[in-house]
Amino acid sequence: MAGVGGLNAAEQRELQGRMEQKQMKDFMNMYSNLVQRCFNDCVNDFTTKSLLGKEESCVMRCVDKFLKSSERLGERFQEQNAQMAQQGGMNAGR
Amino acid sequence: MSFLFGGGGRPQPSSAEKIAAAEAEIEMVSNMFNQLVDTCTKKCIPNLYREADLNKGESVCLDRCVAKFFEVNVKVSEKMQGEAAQRQGGAMGGGGGGSMFG
Repeated sequence: MAGVGGLNAAEQRELQGRMEQKQMKDFMNMYSNLVQRCFNDCVNDFTTKSLLGKEESCVMRCVDKFLKSSERLGERFQEQNAQMAQQGGMNAGR
Repeated sequence: MSFLFGGGGRPQPSSAEKIAAAEAEIEMVSNMFNQLVDTCTKKCIPNLYREADLNKGESVCLDRCVAKFFEVNVKVSEKMQGEAAQRQGGAMGGGGGGSMFG
């Protein structure tokens, strides 16, 4: 990683701070994405003001499913990333 | 900023530049992950939500989706690097075998 090896403690703290901010932002984005997706897919009946039972349970399942798939994708992503880093290290002929 | 080897080398990158470089790299990886999540959930999770857990088919689909996504990433980057190298003239830095980003 360009530059990371040369970061001193103060720089690392700064980077850490920025990463935390970014994580917050990413989390908020994920949240609003999720609301939109589950609303779009589950809620289609507007004859009444409150959520129908089936709509509510659909939303609950939607959230569960999405969080579980995010988790699984995260795991696979890390595995693939690690594999790539390994391969990149072996093939680099600089 | 200090010059190495009596003016022959480049100046050391400043603090801000180093942090910006690290941040940019992390952001690139993070963006890729977000795209991956978006795409693979659209492709693999039907929008009926019959149950809260992932079934076997969906799980396997997600795993394969990640693997293929990475493969596409590598192939696209290899091809683009190949074309850039060609445009610069084949003599310089020949042999782009297996070179990847990062």
